[in-house]
Amino acid sequence: MVSIELKVNGEIYAVSVKSNETLLDVLRDKIGLTGTKKGCDTGQCGACTVLLDGRPVPSCLMLAVDVKNRDILTIEGVARNGALHPLQEAFVSEGAVQCGYCTPGMILSAKALLDRNPHPTEGEIKEAISGNLCRCTGYVKIIQAIAVAADRGSVK
Amino acid sequence: MKQACVGQSILRIDAVDKVTGSAVFGDDMDFNRAFYGKALRSPFAHARIVAVDIREALRLPGVKAVVTGKDIQALGGEALKDYPFIASDKVRYAGEAVAAVAAVTEAIAEKAVDLIRVEYQELPVVTDPEKAMNPKAPLVHERLKDYHHLPVIQPVAGTNICHQVRFIKGDVDKGFAESDEIFEDTFTTQMIQHCAIEPHMAAARVDAGGSITVWVTNDGPHRLRKDLAEALGLPLKKIRVISPPYMGGGFGAKGGLKVETLCIALALKTGGRPVKMVLTREEVFTSSLVRHPSVIKIKTGVKKDGTILAREVDLIYDTGAYSEKGPTVCQQASTAGPGPYNIPHVKVSGYCVYTNKPVAGAFRGYGHTQVAWAHESQMDIIAAKLGINPVEIRLKNAVREGDISPTGQQILNSVGLTECIQKAAAGVRWDEPKQAFHGQGFACGYKNTKTPSGSSALVKVSQDGSVELLTSTVEIGQGAKTILAQMAAEELGVPVTAITVSTPDTDLTPYDASTTSSRSTFHMGNAVKKAAGDARGQILKIAAQVLGQPPAELGIEAGVVYALKDRQKRISYTDVLKNQCRAGIDILGRGSYHPDDEGVCAGPWSSPSIFWMYGAQYVEVDVDAETGQVRVTKIVGAHDVGRAINPMTCEGQIEGGIIQGMGPALMEEMLIGEKGEVRNPNFLDYKLPTARDVPEILPIIVETPCSEGPWGAKGLGEMTNVPIAPAIANAIYDAVGVRIKDLPITAEKLLKAMREGK
Repeated sequence: MVSIELKVNGEIYAVSVKSNETLLDVLRDKIGLTGTKKGCDTGQCGACTVLLDGRPVPSCLMLAVDVKNRDILTIEGVARNGALHPLQEAFVSEGAVQCGYCTPGMILSAKALLDRNPHPTEGEIKEAISGNLCRCTGYVKIIQAIAVAADRGSVK
Repeated sequence: MKQACVGQSILRIDAVDKVTGSAVFGDDMDFNRAFYGKALRSPFAHARIVAVDIREALRLPGVKAVVTGKDIQALGGEALKDYPFIASDKVRYAGEAVAAVAAVTEAIAEKAVDLIRVEYQELPVVTDPEKAMNPKAPLVHERLKDYHHLPVIQPVAGTNICHQVRFIKGDVDKGFAESDEIFEDTFTTQMIQHCAIEPHMAAARVDAGGSITVWVTNDGPHRLRKDLAEALGLPLKKIRVISPPYMGGGFGAKGGLKVETLCIALALKTGGRPVKMVLTREEVFTSSLVRHPSVIKIKTGVKKDGTILAREVDLIYDTGAYSEKGPTVCQQASTAGPGPYNIPHVKVSGYCVYTNKPVAGAFRGYGHTQVAWAHESQMDIIAAKLGINPVEIRLKNAVREGDISPTGQQILNSVGLTECIQKAAAGVRWDEPKQAFHGQGFACGYKNTKTPSGSSALVKVSQDGSVELLTSTVEIGQGAKTILAQMAAEELGVPVTAITVSTPDTDLTPYDASTTSSRSTFHMGNAVKKAAGDARGQILKIAAQVLGQPPAELGIEAGVVYALKDRQKRISYTDVLKNQCRAGIDILGRGSYHPDDEGVCAGPWSSPSIFWMYGAQYVEVDVDAETGQVRVTKIVGAHDVGRAINPMTCEGQIEGGIIQGMGPALMEEMLIGEKGEVRNPNFLDYKLPTARDVPEILPIIVETPCSEGPWGAKGLGEMTNVPIAPAIANAIYDAVGVRIKDLPITAEKLLKAMREGK
């Protein structure tokens, strides 16, 4: 066991982890942030996507000990002061949510895109979420929601 | 009359929970002091279990229980009881559980599984369903004749055929004799997996009195309770099934007996502490459920003008090692086998066959995707030969209101097929010259629902006017909570925001057959409408006393009861409840719906479908001449829903179902080795459509109100991926003149066929 500090959604968490524990398992089981989902545990589905210093990463492929003192953003940190992020609002208003299991990862991949490219083309949106599998929506309304959020002017 | 809630694209009531990460799924639940379960799975597809040695595993510190097939002798299954909780005498597919471990951590459970020694004696493996039907084939189940089954199921003792079904209408021989042209083709479909992004999970606890509580990702909590009770020989009251608040997709895979069988076997030995298991993605592929691979022979006789006179369909559904829902999948597909057409002479023979492969069962479409692949591909073969365009030949033969169903069981009502065909094809020109390697394709279809089946609901109006809807319909992602809330709100005259929808719990929420078969909007919708109507009647009765008006002369709007003749005479729900129940009471509304209220049916699945869903889809593709790669560029899907309770969620179903159907059309396939092993149980080697594969999609909602449905509603979800694969194949034929008859149409397969000029 190693004692480390993880900075998640702006808060510092002191946790003791095994050197082979993934960020995903530590977020879910030790910190209690279960919004990040486990879909395959092998980096192939995107459900566990979090932002690491603003970049989308599969948290199931990251070791917790390797990301200490980095900025980790999970779905729980996307809304600010009780107000939904424009992406979250758009996912609701455009009907982009069905079962909701891919949704956290989708929103974080989309946020990473809009943070660096506030006015993406449809092709850029599709590219940005192409690592996030969804089996319910056919992606149509997800792509639409990201475009709507971009139009409304996303905020960091 | 325009409704305030029904027919409106009200935003989903679960969406905010889901975009913020606060929605709780099964694996997010906290099971106090739970042990972690892991299964040991067979590497062999068919082998006798000679010995299982668990001694070393039991000695590992942290291990709390180890179970094998000897510990729990129970056979389950919805239609045919052939499924052991843990394999005991032999294994029948690679991936079947032969033992399970409960330990204090997942890591210890995994380590303990590795310490279990199993001695197997390999048996001959049968993987081809046609070979499995041969009387000399190795038997997957030697005791088939001894298994309990529903009255409608007809196993053939001493064979691998676990169900056979036949429908005959007219005289096909006469029909073929009178035909100008006869077409005979064989089509096949592959094994695919549902790939819900949430893996299956379960947790179980057994109390000192032997009562079992199960938390599980299952689409039919009451059905599962019955299955478990029958298998374990317990009364229903001893089993409690609780759904997690949300389920991360199912598409049919999260029904029947799955992970909870192992959790229960373990929990029987852990002294009241729960045992939780979550399947790995590999286990989801190998050991949960798949869609039936199929072989479909279809023979059709037509007149020169395109009128179909006779059609004979033989279908073989490969159900893998256990029947699961295979028999009824085969049965339902058979009733729809000839396609949604008026055909005087029809003969359909369906066979559901065991093989040593992963278990096949329900998958959105319930067998209709396979038969549609055959009849819709062949419709275009016929149209091309006769020089008729694809829309014309379908319109010419399409079933219409009042027609006899194609296999002859019933008179059809609420038939929106013609309108679906016309709307999906609107503006399409079939005869204009077009670019090379660009093609247009069309297909239609229909889908039944399991009949008869029942649903009950309770509506509870509390003292401040809050409304709770108690239902066992599962929110799998389809939007059921929202739609049922809309219907309750409509009937009660309150806004949707006043309604809370329960999570299923068989101790608390009333019976529902299952959240499957596109049945919830119709069946549970009817139950909810009755329950809300009952509550409404009770409220009006109280209000009538307060307002001094007869109930018949009262109206309700936005939670306020008013006198129709004098709107000033009014009282809110809150005040009605306060007035009547100062000492505290709820208004309880009850509602049940069963299509066969007389109770004369011959059991589950025995009646003709209470409604049929219809749909038609138009597709455009580009084929890469160098690589054979197909790019779908446009899809139009027109679907008859009866009445759209929530148009936006209907669109979501159409879009999602279409892309879910495009995957198996072009890329998805579970590869099975000669010895029955799954060769690609992961998302790298099993390709799912991604956002980059998505074309322009135009969903069209067609409304042909169903007289039995709530506000005219039927169902939708399952129908949406039925016609898409043949529509794509037909477009590919239009683009390159090559007819592929076996799914999926991979680039490799298409390029080879293009080079061979098929």
